[in-house]
Amino acid sequence: MNEPMDIAFRLNGRPVELTTDPGRRAIDVLREDFGLTAAKEGCGSGECGACAVLVDGTARLSCLMLAAQLHGRDLTTAEGLGRPDAPHPIQTAFAVHGAVQCGYCTPGMTIAAAELLARDPAPDREAARRALSGNLCRCTGYVKIVDAVLAAGAALRGEES
Amino acid sequence: MLDDGLSPMAGGTDLLVPGRKAAGRGVALLEGLPGLDGVAMTAQGLRLGALASLAALERHPVIRERLPVLAQAIACLGSPLIRNMGTMGGNLVTASPAGDTLPALLVLEAVVELASRDGRRHLPVAEFLLGPGRTALGPGEIVAAVRIALPPPGASQHFEKVGRRDALAIAVASLAALIVRDEAGRVVEARLAVGSLAPTARRCPSAEAALPGRRLDREALLEAGRRIRDEISPKGDLRATAAYRREMAGRLPLRLLTLA
Amino acid sequence: MDADRDKGASPGAPRVDALDKACGRQRYAADETPPGCLLAGVKRAGIPHGRIVRLDTAAARAVPGVVTVLTRADVPGTNRQGIVHKDQPVLCGQRVRHHGDPVALVVAENKDALAAGLAAVEVAFEALPAVFDPEEALSPNAPLVHPDREGGNLLAHGLMEKGDAESALAGCDVVVAGRFATPAQDHVSLEPPNGLARLAPSGRLTMVVSTQAPFRDRFEIAQALGLDPQRIRIRAPYLGGGFGGKDGATVQCLLALAALRLPGRWIKMAWSREETFLAGYKRHAAVMDIRLGARADGTLEAIACAMCFDAGPYAHLSGEIMELGMEHAGGPYRIPHVRIEGSCAYTNNPVGGAFRGFGVVQACFAVERAMDMLARRLGRAPESLRLQNALRPGETSAVGVAAEPGTDVAACLNAALAHPLWTGREAWKQAAPAFTRRGVGLVAVQNAMGYGRGLPDHATAKLELTRQGTFRLYNSVPDMGQGNAAAFVAMAAQALGQPEAAVACVQPDTAACPPAGSSSASRTVYTFGNALLRACRTMAEKLRNRAALALLCDTPDRLVLTPGGVSDPATGRFVPLSVLAGFLIRDDRICIDQFVMPVVENPPDTGREFKLGFPHRYFTYGACLCGVEADELTGRVRLVQCLLTVACGKVFTLAGVEQQLAGAAAQGAGLALFEELALEGGRIRAGDLSTYLIPTSLDLPDIDCLPLPDDEPSGPLGIKGMGEVGIHGPGPAVAQALFDAVGLDAASLPITPEVVLAALEELTP
Repeated sequence: MNEPMDIAFRLNGRPVELTTDPGRRAIDVLREDFGLTAAKEGCGSGECGACAVLVDGTARLSCLMLAAQLHGRDLTTAEGLGRPDAPHPIQTAFAVHGAVQCGYCTPGMTIAAAELLARDPAPDREAARRALSGNLCRCTGYVKIVDAVLAAGAALRGEES
Repeated sequence: MLDDGLSPMAGGTDLLVPGRKAAGRGVALLEGLPGLDGVAMTAQGLRLGALASLAALERHPVIRERLPVLAQAIACLGSPLIRNMGTMGGNLVTASPAGDTLPALLVLEAVVELASRDGRRHLPVAEFLLGPGRTALGPGEIVAAVRIALPPPGASQHFEKVGRRDALAIAVASLAALIVRDEAGRVVEARLAVGSLAPTARRCPSAEAALPGRRLDREALLEAGRRIRDEISPKGDLRATAAYRREMAGRLPLRLLTLA
Repeated sequence: MDADRDKGASPGAPRVDALDKACGRQRYAADETPPGCLLAGVKRAGIPHGRIVRLDTAAARAVPGVVTVLTRADVPGTNRQGIVHKDQPVLCGQRVRHHGDPVALVVAENKDALAAGLAAVEVAFEALPAVFDPEEALSPNAPLVHPDREGGNLLAHGLMEKGDAESALAGCDVVVAGRFATPAQDHVSLEPPNGLARLAPSGRLTMVVSTQAPFRDRFEIAQALGLDPQRIRIRAPYLGGGFGGKDGATVQCLLALAALRLPGRWIKMAWSREETFLAGYKRHAAVMDIRLGARADGTLEAIACAMCFDAGPYAHLSGEIMELGMEHAGGPYRIPHVRIEGSCAYTNNPVGGAFRGFGVVQACFAVERAMDMLARRLGRAPESLRLQNALRPGETSAVGVAAEPGTDVAACLNAALAHPLWTGREAWKQAAPAFTRRGVGLVAVQNAMGYGRGLPDHATAKLELTRQGTFRLYNSVPDMGQGNAAAFVAMAAQALGQPEAAVACVQPDTAACPPAGSSSASRTVYTFGNALLRACRTMAEKLRNRAALALLCDTPDRLVLTPGGVSDPATGRFVPLSVLAGFLIRDDRICIDQFVMPVVENPPDTGREFKLGFPHRYFTYGACLCGVEADELTGRVRLVQCLLTVACGKVFTLAGVEQQLAGAAAQGAGLALFEELALEGGRIRAGDLSTYLIPTSLDLPDIDCLPLPDDEPSGPLGIKGMGEVGIHGPGPAVAQALFDAVGLDAASLPITPEVVLAALEELTP
């Protein structure tokens, strides 16, 4: 155990603070201290991407981040992208395009997609596949996930999909 | 903090994996330290801060334009999520025989800038890498940056990684090449480096010596491949047998036939 | 086909579970952590076979934060779990039989204490001789996995026969023989096995588990721990994947044991990825010897097949998996003379168990490869030999069951042959870039639906009209991602004339839902869907009758359910469901109905050893085309084209069918090219996600799915089960494609770059 540390950061748009062991994993802080369970633990070693969150706009693996690294950051989980009654266009596209099956990889996928579309608003299928290649899915074969990312891009660009 | 036995941590993508060196305890975070981030143009070339994320380097216009061998190596490292977190310095210090950027840095003749409270020193990458997981880092020393002189604009650069899948793969073998040719297409200078075929990523001087004065034809490249085979000491593991790796050493240069 | 689709849910309507999941709001078992929850973990053997000579838990108990440490001595009941055969200890007392066997259960206040407690458990073994090869395990001198068991290491053996295969083979113009092997495979559900348990002061045990079979789990737990199954309540929220890996006890008995010893406390157990590799079930590795004979004109005459499955140390469903493999060993072909022998051996490898494809993956690879060998011997194109012998409705299958009417496997093959990926294949191969060789393969597949004869494939559906006038359906079959819950909501909404938003879905809960079989065997939507539609019909009739009173209508049959109410088209009058519901007592607002899948009426006189699960009546058929690129320098193979055609009854939602097919094909592609546990002395060397490689988004093509017009009159809305059929094709189709590309005749999976490179060497010395 390390000495507890005061950690302040923005979480899904709101400033938060906690005092905790800075050596805890970020995913545990999110799930245990904030009850935000969108970030899932599929492997704990950065190999599956189910725990991905946006940190200052960049998709990161919360299982390989320490609580101390959250300090001063702006963190967004899938819960922060949108809610079922006010979903983010990426979340809508995942639902509409059949990209969600068991759904365990889905929050992480939407986070990777959000980073991609912020950087490249009109990716092709290859670019989408590359951007999602750190997020394993065992249910879908990825086809509809790629469909959804492209459709979300179109929606965010204001185009009809 | 380093004096207290803490491990310096950059992106954490290696250090925090359970069962590896730190696993969440006893690390000193480097992020935020001044002078370790970003890419700077200098008179001698590029200075890549040790904490520059691999993703930032992959997308950097000068690296894409002038150091494609490095951009290609980074593009096949881990996954986008790993590249968002992982750093240039981390890939060097981890010193994996399979470290994807290392063969590229070797052919670019990159120099590692080391810093400690006693000052700074510079080491060529080849002298920095001592063995699997072993580097020339001294006590209390960290990697501050990697310095790369820009190769001549006409140099051909090439990187290929052989992995078992197309993302999230650890290299079975890799080849980085930097070739300068004259107007007649004859090799003036050849730099070749391989990964996952020896205890560290390494240059292949004997193979390099086979190419100057020749065109990059099948015979020349097969000869280079034969010489690489003699220069390496591959091991077998879960991903491939030693024999397969040796085979790759001989064959990968043939891909240079597709260089324009 | 469009007409059929129109009868289904609208293609654009998302699954009811999709948006919650996409927004990260769906709570899986792994997301439940009640306040004050304790954590449980297991100390595992770490050796393949041994006698426990010392087990000391004192140091572990002394670790601050450790609440208790339990061993075999703490287990009441038989200490034996298992679905059919009860041979797997909850905690091992004397002997361990594989690396993942549990020897002690530690319960602690937090993760750090749990880890320290597990590390402090002292256990010493006397190593025993072990056996890792199922064929060796059946030799007379092999070490015995269960020494006092009658029958030694032979867990199950059976024979399926039709005609006289040996005589027929002797008379064939051409006979090919081959030995084929498929490896063990891990499910890699993204959500590892996990659950929670609490023993209430009343003596009731409540559990929340990521499980495919909550109703059956109660009996498995009760048997193992000497409990009354009626005192066990299990909830199964949406699963983060299952694929068979959660069909049978994972955490259940261990959690229940911990809860019994710590009454009143919630206890959670969540396996890590590594523990899941170590302790979870695997698809059975299998070896298959086939002799396949035909006339000179290509007409199949006879097949003899011997299949040997590696069960690992415990039965799980090994015998039943072998049995289904045997039933499929003749492929979807017309073969008059058949002899299929199966054996299943105990070994000290990881435990074999259920996995999508359930024995059929193994059988399909072998028979399809044998068909390729035969085609080559006859100088025939692989697809034409398959078409010539394709089983047609009414003809008897290899094991003597008449094929049901409906779209057949020939139609599936023909649809693939008409597809641009097939018709354009020569041009595509010619256009291969430098250092690249391309090839295309096409195979036929089939998969039985349901449990088969002897084990009633049943489901009971409960439907409630709420006081508010909406509906609540009680799903009794866990949704592990296949979308059955959403399909049930859509079916009920359609049957009741309501929008989907008016139908809420309760996930499986043994205290609220009536019983049903497991989420498995391509049966979920078929069986429960039939029960549900019956309940919906009863509900609709009831509501028309009740509404008739309010609407003063003496012919209730003319009334129709419309969104939110019941209407009389003759008068235009309408009574809201909320009003009707207010007049009904709760008992009257509930309809429960059930369904049992029809079985083969005249089973063939073979396979008599199999009391449960043979034969099957309904089959889903398909064809799978794979286009591959092999790199000449590295031997790396990329799957770059994949097409699945399928006859699975009517299509309820196209997206639902595509999801199942593409997802299954992705797992089949993983098995074909990547996935390998690298067993060594019973130890999994590739025991994490950096070494056990499943396909990433860059490793798969855009998989095309083409369901054909079809109808299964016994199915709900004409559907058949199709959750498994898509997994079989990629293995043999990739193998055939690689023969096309580089002349490699692969007899086992996965096909590694080294093997491909060796074939390339032969091609271009």
